[in-house]
Amino acid sequence: MNRFPLYRIGGPSRLRTRAAAATVRSTRRSFEADMDLFGVLPALTELPHLAAASLASVPLATAPAIGLGITAAQLNSGAIAPEAAILIALLVCLLVDLAGEEAAVRWVPPICYAGLGTALVLLARQWNAPLEPSFLGSFLADDLAVAFRAVVAASTLLSLMISWRYVERSGSPVGEYAAILLAATLGAMFLCGSTDLVSIFVSLETLSVSSYLLSGYMKRDARSGEAALKYLLVGSAAAAVFLYGASLLYGLTGGSTGLDAVGVALQTSATPVTALALVFVLATVAFKIAAVPFHQWTPDVYEGSPTPVVAFLSVGSKAAGFALALRLLVGCFDSFDTQWKLLFTVLAVLSMTLGNVVALAQTTMKRMLAYSSIGQAGFVMIGLVCGTEDGYAAMVLYMAAYLFMNLGAFACIILFSLRTGSDRISDYAGLYQKDPLITLGLSLCLLSLGGIPPMLGFFGKIYLFFAGWADHQYLLVVVGLITSVVSIYYYISVIKMMVVKEPQEASDVVKAYPPITWNLAGMGTLRTALVACVLVTAVGGVLSNPLFTWANGAVTGTPMLQQSIASSAAREATAIAAAPVPPTPAILG
Amino acid sequence: MLSGLLLIPLLGAIALLVWPGAVSGERLRRTCLALLVLQVAWSLRVLWQFDPTISGLQLEEIAPWVGSLGLDYRLGIDGLSLPLVLINGALSLAAALVTSTSTPRPRLYYALLLLISGAVNGAFLAQNLLLFFLFYELELIPLWLLIAIWGGSNRAYAATKFLLFTAVSGVLILGAFFGLALATGTADFSLQPLLGQELGMGMQLLLMGALLVGFGIKIPLFPFHTWLPDAHTEASTPVSLLLAGVLLKLGTYGLLRFCLGLFPDAWQLMSPWLAGWAAVSVLFGSLAAIQQQDMKRMVAYSSVGHMGYVLLAAAAATPVSLLGALFQMVSHGLISALLFLLVGVVYATTGTRDLNVLRGLLNPERGLPITGSLMIAGVMASAGIPGMGGFISEFLVFRGSLVPFPVPTLLCMVGSGLTAVYFLLLVNRVFFGRLSPPADDLDTPLPAVPLARQIPALALTVAVLLLGVAPQALGTLATATTTAMGRAPQRLAALPVSAAPDRLLAGGMGQ
Repeated sequence: MNRFPLYRIGGPSRLRTRAAAATVRSTRRSFEADMDLFGVLPALTELPHLAAASLASVPLATAPAIGLGITAAQLNSGAIAPEAAILIALLVCLLVDLAGEEAAVRWVPPICYAGLGTALVLLARQWNAPLEPSFLGSFLADDLAVAFRAVVAASTLLSLMISWRYVERSGSPVGEYAAILLAATLGAMFLCGSTDLVSIFVSLETLSVSSYLLSGYMKRDARSGEAALKYLLVGSAAAAVFLYGASLLYGLTGGSTGLDAVGVALQTSATPVTALALVFVLATVAFKIAAVPFHQWTPDVYEGSPTPVVAFLSVGSKAAGFALALRLLVGCFDSFDTQWKLLFTVLAVLSMTLGNVVALAQTTMKRMLAYSSIGQAGFVMIGLVCGTEDGYAAMVLYMAAYLFMNLGAFACIILFSLRTGSDRISDYAGLYQKDPLITLGLSLCLLSLGGIPPMLGFFGKIYLFFAGWADHQYLLVVVGLITSVVSIYYYISVIKMMVVKEPQEASDVVKAYPPITWNLAGMGTLRTALVACVLVTAVGGVLSNPLFTWANGAVTGTPMLQQSIASSAAREATAIAAAPVPPTPAILG
Repeated sequence: MLSGLLLIPLLGAIALLVWPGAVSGERLRRTCLALLVLQVAWSLRVLWQFDPTISGLQLEEIAPWVGSLGLDYRLGIDGLSLPLVLINGALSLAAALVTSTSTPRPRLYYALLLLISGAVNGAFLAQNLLLFFLFYELELIPLWLLIAIWGGSNRAYAATKFLLFTAVSGVLILGAFFGLALATGTADFSLQPLLGQELGMGMQLLLMGALLVGFGIKIPLFPFHTWLPDAHTEASTPVSLLLAGVLLKLGTYGLLRFCLGLFPDAWQLMSPWLAGWAAVSVLFGSLAAIQQQDMKRMVAYSSVGHMGYVLLAAAAATPVSLLGALFQMVSHGLISALLFLLVGVVYATTGTRDLNVLRGLLNPERGLPITGSLMIAGVMASAGIPGMGGFISEFLVFRGSLVPFPVPTLLCMVGSGLTAVYFLLLVNRVFFGRLSPPADDLDTPLPAVPLARQIPALALTVAVLLLGVAPQALGTLATATTTAMGRAPQRLAALPVSAAPDRLLAGGMGQ
């Protein structure tokens, strides 16, 4: 494999001189060659097409029913209109890519913006719309799904905005990159609304396979290949585990794959098989949200993958994972909530502790953010374990806050690596003098991740702890509070590098910092995304009331969550009524 | 009205930070000074509108903010917070005034100074627990930066230590607030006195303990004080001045407002232990101060000792002792600010703070006569010489606490005597004696300190004197509030005693 440094300049110009068709062909070929080196199915290179095909098969999950004369109205296909917009954008991107790299560089970004923008508008129109299951019960566009799909779509939009320059500079074709990222988005968005085991699996795989490809996208970089291979192996194992769990659930229902049917079947069966299915399903969810001890893939994948991809994986993919967790655990395993909540408490404590403690020792930004994202997922899990209205709302709110602060941080480190080619924390020393924008943006985003007021992250974190405390999850909240002090330490040490170090202590990289220019292609959008994220992070906290209303609305507008809240309240009431009343001596006398 | 006290410094800080183009340091300094003068004027306006006869909150401002969290924007002021707001304004102005005109990175520096001033005002005025916590944490990062960037040689260590200690204190306070707001069954963080009354005693003790340790770190009380001497030694003079004069008061204010105000029963149960703790803290601070060779460290340890008096007075919780606690907070704010200021002048002119090196600085021709005289006045005030601010506050504290806790009060009096010991050591070594001539050229005088730079120190000395000569000015402001606070626990303690026999009687009748 021809290795060259990750951040080498000059790739694009070389590419532009080639004939367009040759470019496409040669990249395809080298892609295949790389994949063969991995020992992976060569067919995976046809991913965009595969993704499109598998998406088409989502509605077919309940294929037999179609033969029975189902009309389009009963399919209620309007529910996936946002996904359709993205699918169209994906296909157009592929078509434009055929016209050559030059056309792709010019036209792919606006196409992606149009697709994602339309999707976001359509999602806004679905908010609080009358609820109707679509595709015979395999997809449901309730407010929870709308909220998480919006987070996913927004994370893709921002990730794309910060990646054009990066991708172009690495010499990879832009059109393919955008298409694969959009395919991953489609998978993640379908995952948020899937209510059928088959559609869950198909969308999970669409997301996963696209993610493997994305993490290996810097195909000339050995670390990127390593990341893709690791991700693929661990991810396939997780998928297999999920399939096994799903097959057990299928058996329990006696022939139905709908989550409703699974939920009903689980209420009446308490066999060891159910426990096994729970463990399997939980492992898949934990893998997707990178909860300890299912996190081992995260640091290596984050370090090796292209940085914009990491940005998407840490927000979009994780949001889809949490939506899946809500669907499966709250929607299906509601009758086993003591068991899965116990397991999740353990996972959350481990994630918060390990993620935040190991992040202390990291020397590169990407690895530090990888471990910090494990810790952050641990904080979000507090909301999941609560199972109260506030708990779910806090989850949604924190994911939205995390979207902006994490992508803002990633935008800054991408910009820094574009300008210097470095990712080491010590290379940020003395940056304030050379690049105030990165210094300010990264400082604000990291402070927000650390939960320092008045940033958005402070409000999100307080809400999670508040919900946890209100539900008597004292252990989780105490661990969360302690580990957020730990997290402040490592976030602050980056800020110390940038802000506190004097010019004479600056790193060599910063001393040789290039003059700041924004006129290269793709830099303008990077700046827009960076400024937007930082602004929302900094000002969003003080003006966060609408965001709170939105998060609470997402929970009240979701029948599945309301049911679970009501049933747990009923259980509590009966538990209190059934508890023996302590005898009062005065009356006895 | 009260929002002005937040908006002037906070918006000013943001404006300073984002003002486009290059601005000269002198201009930034003048803008910052103008904003701080405006803030002081605004606090005087609040003082003008303040009615000292009312014991409760005044000039309240309420606006909804984040309903789901129970966080609303609720400000109010009473006789406890008004004096602290006033000294915050005055000392912030003093800190900006004594900052060297050629300070590096002036834009960030003055913005952070304003940010701290606004955050501290917010914490003193907040009448919602979460809002208080927000402001309490808001001051953390700016102060960390002020120590880490403009500090001495070992500043990174001291700043990080400060940050971690304060972050832990914040976490403890937040945990206690959660416990309080949610254990009472309401998701409401608005600050209502005696809120903790509804809880069981075990829970009250637990929550109050967390608050006590949280604020104990900030005050700081032995054994949580170790960050303070390091932070003071490394911080520059204006930052030390702010830290000792204003930020430590956040801790004692929290002690009075939240520990005593929210959990009067638990407080009363624990008060003998708290008084003992206060005595230990005072004695430790004083004895440790005697040992120090660095002037700044000595003044820092004296802070540990003197803040212990506040805990003693709060433990006694009599109307007189609480008034004494407030006097002690104000006078310690002024005196320690004065001492740090003067130590800063000595350090700036001689280049050292070592007690073994400095000699005879009172020398009228070649020394620092004005600084020396002011220093003598400052240490006299600190040691509690009658006629100065320190005397009144210590007298009130001891007078109020002697009856309930005779032994701890006597021990604290010993500590007060020790203050005279270490400060006499300091004055004797540094200012008296013969000014050691430089080795080579015999007659080089120390560079004279311009009069303009002496103004803050002179003003602080005058304030300390005024506080000692005319204490009734502050007394009138605060008495209504402190008396009400001091009475509350006793009235409540009386309640169960009168109620319990009834209940017992009823039970007996039932049998």
